[in-house]
Amino acid sequence: MRAVIAEDLALLRDGLIRLLTAHDVEVVAAIADGPSVLGALVEHRPDVAVLDVRLPPTFTNEGLLAAIEARKHVPGLPILVLSQYVEPLYARELLSDQRGGVGYLLKDRVMDVGQFVDAVRRVAAGGTVMDPEVVSQLLAKRARDAPLGQLTPREREVLALMAEGRSNAAVATELIVSEKAVSKHIGNIFMKLDLPPSDDDNRRVRAVLTYLNS
Amino acid sequence: MNEPAGRQEAALSRRVRDRVGRWSLLALRSIGSALGTKSERPPKSRLARIARRAASFGIVCALVLTVIWALTGARYFWPGWIWFLLVLPDATRLTVRRALRTSIRRSLAVHAAIALVIAASLVAIWLLSSHRYFWPIWPILALVLVFAGHALFVPSASNSREQALAERVDVLTRTREDALDVQVAEMRRVERDLHDGAQARLVSLGMSLGMADELLDSDPDEARRLLAEARTAAGDALGDLRAVVRGILPPVLADRGLAGAVQALVVASPIPVEMTVELPAERLPPPVESAAYFAVAEAVANVIKHSEARSAWVRVRHIDGLLSMVVEDDGRGGADPHSGSGLRGIEHRLGAFDGTLQISSPSGGPTVVTMEVPCARLSPKT
Repeated sequence: MRAVIAEDLALLRDGLIRLLTAHDVEVVAAIADGPSVLGALVEHRPDVAVLDVRLPPTFTNEGLLAAIEARKHVPGLPILVLSQYVEPLYARELLSDQRGGVGYLLKDRVMDVGQFVDAVRRVAAGGTVMDPEVVSQLLAKRARDAPLGQLTPREREVLALMAEGRSNAAVATELIVSEKAVSKHIGNIFMKLDLPPSDDDNRRVRAVLTYLNS
Repeated sequence: MNEPAGRQEAALSRRVRDRVGRWSLLALRSIGSALGTKSERPPKSRLARIARRAASFGIVCALVLTVIWALTGARYFWPGWIWFLLVLPDATRLTVRRALRTSIRRSLAVHAAIALVIAASLVAIWLLSSHRYFWPIWPILALVLVFAGHALFVPSASNSREQALAERVDVLTRTREDALDVQVAEMRRVERDLHDGAQARLVSLGMSLGMADELLDSDPDEARRLLAEARTAAGDALGDLRAVVRGILPPVLADRGLAGAVQALVVASPIPVEMTVELPAERLPPPVESAAYFAVAEAVANVIKHSEARSAWVRVRHIDGLLSMVVEDDGRGGADPHSGSGLRGIEHRLGAFDGTLQISSPSGGPTVVTMEVPCARLSPKT
């Protein structure tokens, strides 16, 4: 798997390269500033890009803007955005093109190496990975809203874990239920959110989108 | 004994000589500058130059006439009139200028200065015309009466500007104190948050790592457990730091400015909030932006916490140098602006920018919080 990373702090950049290389991800380009990100992504067309939100020269949100712009040039380009803080507004902007292959995680998650690498792989495979922090902020917000209001508490838990990009098996482990029960919950969620049948991955993305955009 | 006395005498005479020399030098210099031969500070305008020339010419004439008077030996000192006319404009100018320098009741001070000059002139005329009867007493009496009238009745009507200034000083003093109080409280909160949160967690992280290091060989399982603990502590410390940063300057405000930050508030709100933002493309000055954001955030938080509203509206606009923010809800109303510390803090924070906060919240709703900050200057580029 080939990856492009963008991170301005040398310490973290080297750490990311070491971490990804150790897990059989080849880092084809490591960028330290905002303006070069777009060019590198379009040029290398990596299997996945890992971008820091805050990059030089303005140190605001050029990583995020570059990600959105790059996905306009290369639709569906898998991008995982890392940040010191998460903002549901930014999550919504990242997901607004309604395609999968998007991740938005706190930098802290790098500390759990296994889960982080797993998230990178899931984004590369076209999945959607939202930080639990985004999910919990939105859980607090959406509890009263329709159509999410129709979901049972258990279904909302399942949807939250789906938004974090977990597979059915991972959701089952987390909630200590059988995988079959999880599939049943997911079926109910799709039905209640009125998502027409299509391939399962796409429906998962759209369920998460409903979650974020309602 | 003699010698020191002689020396003393010499010293004294030297001192006298010095003083005489200095005085004569000063006199020469002043005459010189009056004649315009040597001017240390060049006069500013053409009019001032002409006035200076005229004054120099007048002094020369007066000196010449005084010499003539001395030579003719007349008893009556008629050149006094010339000196009087010569001194009058400068005396008037200096007195009035001095009066203008006063900061309170300035019009009264100027009036007093003019009256004083007129009275002094009248006395001078009386002296020069050598009348027995002291007639200037009548006009001076009239001047005093007019001045007393001015001092008693006019100030209340005409000193609105001074009154406004005094009020402004009061407001500035109060808002500055409030702003400083808010700032000190804020710093104390940040200090406490860091101390109880991130710092404590980093200490525990260091301890876990140290213990893991010791146990690495003897008890690898325990060491692994401690390492996992250290990782959790690091994550918690980061979470605490994030919360502190959000309280100081929310990252989305730094990234996107007021419009983006208000939008983020709306996205995160558990109740539907309708938002209208009319802001210029340029960013507002950061301190105003920050105060405005925290004001809107506090008002929206109050809606969510207390109002039981089903929906809310946020309007932010910047028109004619006035930034206005209105937060409205359809909740139960009855909000008391003086009960919560949050709104008072916002009022103080806005007060530092001459901003105001008004709440209309009849029982049964709706609640409308209107906040305004005058803000004409926009920062060119952030």
